Amino acid sequence: MASISIKSVWKYYGDTPAVKDLNLECLDGEFVCILGPSGCGKSSTMRMLAGLEHITAGDILFNDKRINDLPPKDRNLAMVFENYALYPHKSVYDNMANALKIQKVDKATIDKKVKWAAELLELSPLLDRKPLELSGGQKQRCAIGRAIVREPELFLFDEPIAHLDAKLRAHMRSELKIMQRRLKTTMIYVTHDQLEALSMADRIAVMRDGVLQQVGTPSEIYNQPANQWVAGFIGEPAMNFLDCSLTESNGHLHLSHNAFSFALNAEHIAKLNGSAKEHSQVHMGIRPEHVTISARATPEHPIKGEVLVTELLGGDLLVEANVNDTRVTIKTDPDYIADMGDTCYLGMDTSRWHLFERESGVSLI
Amino acid sequence: MATLEAVQYKSRTRTLVTVFTTIFLIVYLIWTLAPFLIMFVSSFKDLLEAFTLPEIGDFAGMGVFFEFTPTTKHYTELFTERNFSVYFINSVIVSTGSALVSVVLGAMAAYALSRIDFKGKDHVFFWIISTRMAPVVAVMVPLYAIFRNLDLVGTIPGLILAYTTFNLPFAIWILKGFFDNVPYAIEEAAMVDGRTRFGAFMEILPLAAPGIGAFIVLCILFSWNDFLFASIIGSGGAKTLPVATRELVTPTSIQWGKIMAAGVITSLPMTLLGLLIRKYLVTGLTMGAVKE
Ligand SMILES: Nc1ncnc2c1ncn2[C@@H]1O[C@H](COP(=O)(O)OP(=O)(O)O)[C@@H](O)[C@H]1O
Ligand SMILES: [Mg+2]
Repeated sequence: MASISIKSVWKYYGDTPAVKDLNLECLDGEFVCILGPSGCGKSSTMRMLAGLEHITAGDILFNDKRINDLPPKDRNLAMVFENYALYPHKSVYDNMANALKIQKVDKATIDKKVKWAAELLELSPLLDRKPLELSGGQKQRCAIGRAIVREPELFLFDEPIAHLDAKLRAHMRSELKIMQRRLKTTMIYVTHDQLEALSMADRIAVMRDGVLQQVGTPSEIYNQPANQWVAGFIGEPAMNFLDCSLTESNGHLHLSHNAFSFALNAEHIAKLNGSAKEHSQVHMGIRPEHVTISARATPEHPIKGEVLVTELLGGDLLVEANVNDTRVTIKTDPDYIADMGDTCYLGMDTSRWHLFERESGVSLI
Repeated sequence: MATLEAVQYKSRTRTLVTVFTTIFLIVYLIWTLAPFLIMFVSSFKDLLEAFTLPEIGDFAGMGVFFEFTPTTKHYTELFTERNFSVYFINSVIVSTGSALVSVVLGAMAAYALSRIDFKGKDHVFFWIISTRMAPVVAVMVPLYAIFRNLDLVGTIPGLILAYTTFNLPFAIWILKGFFDNVPYAIEEAAMVDGRTRFGAFMEILPLAAPGIGAFIVLCILFSWNDFLFASIIGSGGAKTLPVATRELVTPTSIQWGKIMAAGVITSLPMTLLGLLIRKYLVTGLTMGAVKE
């Protein structure tokens, strides 16, 4: 098994940078997700790890050994390619068996492993087919099979289940996680789907435009986003952001919006730690599940708004409300009955807010 | 998937077109196949019988063409008196030799040109093609001088080399197109699977196989049928079938029977080769392994 460290790695394609000064540690046996929107440099990072792409600057170390100049075959890793990259002239079976054949593993072992992987990936009836005769999801599973039959030191999975249908994807999420926990193989898993990252990873590295934004456990990423962009990217439905400013009255710091004003408590001020002064322009961020809604004004629901639209999502109801020309999404019980144009009153859980500097987006609280 | 069969709608013009196309194809077929038929039949005839022909316009008299006592003496004489077994083997060695050398070197060069971006690549590629632009006769004299100085005239390696100089650019040109159609991702997968760079190249060779097969045939055909190189550079020790056939025309006599037999011996292997790999040539390997 391997621990990976990526040290100040840059990737340029011609003059355009795709990965900028990436630093990332991945412990032995850890499951790390690289999460980010498409085009943010996830695949480039994977390809540098695999040895398929030249590392423009910086070092990558496997077990403290620099591998920049090692060809892919000497890195002992298995990769699932974003575009499958199956051998078109080989059957599903032979696609999966290929790496083992190259390693000169005996036939019986190969057969056992391929059958095991096929079973796991529900590919058993398709072993004799050629890639051309497979659907997108089947090809993708075949590509996963090709990686998991090996026992490498490192798995690189580049959006491996993006093309499966929803049900199978949920199934594969847990299967892959169980498999990784059991094999204890270090895994770097690329996805643009935050749900995948949150549900599978030990740690998540969030990237944007080639720059690493934050590394942390799923709960850290979700609950303590490093900046406004991460906060908005993680979570479905997305976090609400409201333009606010910090004001002072009666010797207390207040968070003021044109529809409400909250006094900051001691905990907030301690967290701010002098990093924001009076008149600072900030964004207040709050997740839809931390906003409560009521038809009547109560002390817990002081903010007046107007219902714009409601959306029933099975067990949850999403309400979109207009608060002084700011849109706020609220996640509530389906029992709440509201029509368009109804007046509503919102409450905010002040212990779950986030404050971001308006210009830079840096997290303050 | 849509079928490749063209949809056709019945109409008067359509029918007329079909009729004329059919007539044209029949005439064309007779035009191309009749010489082969005459050659084949005549190679089993005595000289006298070979020249018994019906009157012009006497289609009923066509039968005399087939009235003869078959004899294989032309064939036996070619092999016993005129060393045709040696020339046949020369032809085989020279044409397959040149095809193999060209395909091995050509595949590697084409692969490099297809996969690697380097400065002046377009110029290199054009230069390779441009060597085929001059007519063969134009380079014959200088080539002969070079080969003479290197003592390659009249030797089998010399003739192989001569054909290779002409086949290689052709190989690079054809095979590059085939490699361009193989996604690079497949080689990347092979390298991650544990292959070396060269191993990955070998792994995708089956995908270029239709191209390689087609090219080998074209290459063999070129050398097998060639007369110019063979008569000038091969003269002496590396005589091939076309040259040997030409020698059956002497100032004193034209040995028609033997010439026909030699024609059959020369064209039959190529016909068989064509039939053998026809399927291979027309069915391209299907892709679909990579998400575009
Ligand atoms: N081979 C390449 N040549 C030039 N630019 C590339 C190449 N591969 C990727 N890029 C660019 O680099 C950026 C990052 O790409 P990629 O790593 O594939 O992103 P992701 O996998 O996160 O979608 C993109 O802007 C993309 O256009
Ligand atoms: Mg990608």
